[in-house]
Order: sequence, then C-alpha cells, then structure tokens
Amino acid sequence: MKTPPASGSMRDALYEAPGPRTRRRVAIGTAISAVVVAALLALVVRQFAVTGQLAPRYWSFFLEWTTWRFLLQGLVGTVEVALVAGAISLVLGLLLMLGRTSGVRPLAAVCRVVTDFFRGVPSLLLIYFFFLVVPQYGIKMPSFWMLTLPVALAASGVLAEVFRAGVNAVPKGQVEAALSIGLSRAQTMRRIVLPQAIRYVVPSLIAQLVVVVKDTTVAYVVSYPDLMQNARVLITSHDSLVSIYLVIAVVYVLINFAINQLAAVVSRRTGAKIIR
Amino acid sequence: MTVNAEGGRPTPIIELRHVEKHYGDLHVLRDVCLEVDKGEVLVVVGPSGSGKSTMCRTINRLETIDSGEILIEGEPLPQEGKELTRMRAELGMVFQSFNLFSHMTILDNVTLGPREVLGMGREEAEAQAMELLARVGVAEQARKVPAQLSGGQQQRAAIARSLAMRPKAMMFDEPTSALDPEMINEVLDVMVELARGGMTMVVVTHEMNFARRVADRVVFMADGQIVEQAPPDRFFDHPESQRAQDFLNSIKGH
Repeated sequence: MKTPPASGSMRDALYEAPGPRTRRRVAIGTAISAVVVAALLALVVRQFAVTGQLAPRYWSFFLEWTTWRFLLQGLVGTVEVALVAGAISLVLGLLLMLGRTSGVRPLAAVCRVVTDFFRGVPSLLLIYFFFLVVPQYGIKMPSFWMLTLPVALAASGVLAEVFRAGVNAVPKGQVEAALSIGLSRAQTMRRIVLPQAIRYVVPSLIAQLVVVVKDTTVAYVVSYPDLMQNARVLITSHDSLVSIYLVIAVVYVLINFAINQLAAVVSRRTGAKIIR
Repeated sequence: MTVNAEGGRPTPIIELRHVEKHYGDLHVLRDVCLEVDKGEVLVVVGPSGSGKSTMCRTINRLETIDSGEILIEGEPLPQEGKELTRMRAELGMVFQSFNLFSHMTILDNVTLGPREVLGMGREEAEAQAMELLARVGVAEQARKVPAQLSGGQQQRAAIARSLAMRPKAMMFDEPTSALDPEMINEVLDVMVELARGGMTMVVVTHEMNFARRVADRVVFMADGQIVEQAPPDRFFDHPESQRAQDFLNSIKGH
C-alpha cells in the first residue's frame, strides 16, 4: 500500500518468474476457464430466453428518457448521501482515533468503546434506530439524515481504526526527532504524524467509500429516494424485476470501479512522494 | 556561565547523578554519573548493548530513568509539559537513522522548529536555514525531500535542523553508523567543525579516529556502567581497565 508497484512487479514480488512447464499449465488453465465462463454465460442467456426475461416489454422502457431521468435522480441521491456520510465519517473517525490515542485514560476508553460499537453494529440496525427510536423522543429529522447519520456512524468506527493503523505505521524516529527539537505532543501529532499517516491510508480511506456507497442502498427503509429506492419504484410501475436490478447492479459496479480507480491513482501519487 | 558557590567550578551543562534504568530484567544503566562542561566534547565508546545510546537518549528524556538525577545547567530535567519541551529545544539531538521528516522538504525540516517552537518568522527562519544548510554543504538540496538525498547529505541536513534551534549542547547517537563508508567522513567533518566552534557535544560513536582527534574526554561504557573516563590519548594508549583493553583489542585494525 505504501508504494504500490506496477502490476508486473507485484506479481514478480510474490512469485518467481514462471518456467516453461508452469507457462504451459497457465495456458491450459486459461483456456479451460474461458470455456467454462462462456458456457455459464450461455446458460444464463438461455434461461433468460426460456423464462421470457428477454421479452421486449422488460427492456423497452430503458429506451425512454424518463426512465433514465428517474434513475439519475436516484443516483444523485445516492451520491449526496455517500459524500456527506463519507465527510462526516472522516471527521468523526479522525476524532475517535485522536481520542483513543490521546493518552487521557477515560477519554481513550470511551473512544475505544464507541469505535468498537460502531464497527460492530450492522448499519441497518443503526438506521432502524434513527428511523424508529429517535423520533419517539420528539426529534424529527428528514429521511436524508435518517439515512446519512447511521451510515456515517458505522463508517466512522472503521475509519478510526484505519487512521490508527496509519498513525502506527509512522516510524518512531519521526516522533523522536520532532520531540527533540522541542515540539509538543500535539504539535508532533499535527505537523509530523498525521500528515504522514494520512498519506499511508488515503487508498484505504477511498476504498472505504465503496462500503459507504453500498450501505446507502438500505435507503428504502426510510423511503429516501436513492438509486436503489427509485429502482424499486420502477420495478413496481413496469412489473420488471430482473432487468432493472441487472441494470442498477451494473451502475453500482461502475461507481465503485471508478472509486477504486481513483484510489489507485491517488496511492500512486502519494506513494511516489514518500519513498524510503 | 554560572559558577558553583562551594567549588568555584562552573556548573556542568549536563550532569547525570547515579542514574539507573531497567528494561524489564535487563539492567541497562547502572549508577551512571557523568558531567559535561560547557564547550567540552565528550565521546562515548563501548561494545554494543553497553547502554551508550540509552544514556544519550535519557539526557533529553527520550528515555525515562528509574532513579537518579539528570541536571541541565544545574536544574533538574523537567518531567513533562512546557518546561520539558523548552529544555528539549535547547538540547540538539542527531540520530543514527537521521529521522528527517519524510513528508517535508529539507528547508521545511530546518525551519519547522524555529517557526513552531521559537516563534520565528518565515523569512528569518528560512534565511537562517539556508545559512546552516550552506555550512553543512547541502544548500543545493534545500527544496528536495529527504528520500532524494544520500545518507550523508541527510545526516548533514539533520545536523542543520538541530543547529537551527541554537542548542546549548548537542547529542549525537551513533551519527555515522547507518552510513555507507564513503559518506562517513563528510558527516564527521561537519562535527569536527562544530567541535572547533566550541559546541558542547556528547557523541556516541564507533569512530575511534574521530574520538582521538576531537574528544576532550573519552567515556568507556560496558554493561550499563561507565568503566573508565580519560583524555583520548591516555584512553587509547594506556587503558586502565581490563574491559577497555579487551574492547580496544577487539576493534584493532579498523
């Protein structure tokens, strides 16, 4: 993660270069798996055809702009929740980590319990809490926040641990050097440790955004119009389950693929800057 | 310079009194007593694991001690807080592994302390940094990050970083042990210059030629104890203790 090698050198680092026999075995394996995948695909398409899933009435509405506009509105909703939840969890995760590593015992203990709680509790349960329990105490919030807050809380627990791993990865000598020129603990954390720790964990932070995006799909619980919720509405109005789920699955894969690409680019950049 | 009332002798800059330290069962410092006077160059030698580095690191409290006293200019070394950071700012430290801040340029490494701790303005801090970097011969590297420099250049920059705090004394914890042979001299040359300039120095090293040339006093440690202290000529030519004789024999020919 520190210095992600180019794809070739990663393989070289893990395995020795293949000899002639290994190369032959790899070629045979490739051929067999290609055949198997093709056969599976054919089987799926055939099953679709047999059960009538390929019938025009299940697909024709994708030719209409209104369908896409509705899905795009959902996509915007998903992106909004993911970005806001991501931002909140970054700040909260950082604070939890700072509290836990502060050296102030009671604060550290509280932060540790909170971190482990949010890391351990399923985000759906947190959503039910905000949807069903919180309103009973007279706190009314829009569905956006009933979705965003629990998703953010769940992610903050994970991010606190990611940050802590980053802080632990900063060599001890960096801290000693900072202390030796008279920096306080807080100054050392702010000027020396955090900037380096964050560089280490940027790829993991971005990858965590994938989890946040997937967590937002339980939006239907609070009737927030995200991509998944809008897809469900479309399914009802067009009476077409498989085609719509297939299409939005592809959309989710594309979103997360884009995020992962971003992580790869960022980690290449930051990695190149601090080689040791 | 303050003067002791009783003896008429100047108060040492650094004084260790009966310092003891354990790592679990390991007794790493045994009744260590040491005085370093202003302007003195003290070279600490001894086999690995003898407690040299640990002793050096206790002086600015990078290592704590179990009992005994450490005095800086006659004042007890503070245990924490502002007093401790102020004291650390007045004592320079150069590490075996350089420990330059890897995410900053060389220039920022040297200006960070003066700006954050001494409250110096950017221009003044940068002017001072460039002057110091020129003095140790790495001014052209000021805009690079540490990973782009050779080990010798990094260590010289690290010395400049310490000097930027205008320390009263400097500790060197095996400053050339991580360097390729051809880079050792460029770092030692900088240290010789410093010593000639009157800097108070505590140098833990395996470079015996440096010790002979530059030290005012050689301290020989073994098993956490100071076994022998003497001016370099006497120590290297007529070591008194058996342990020092064995040690010097074991490194002969280097």
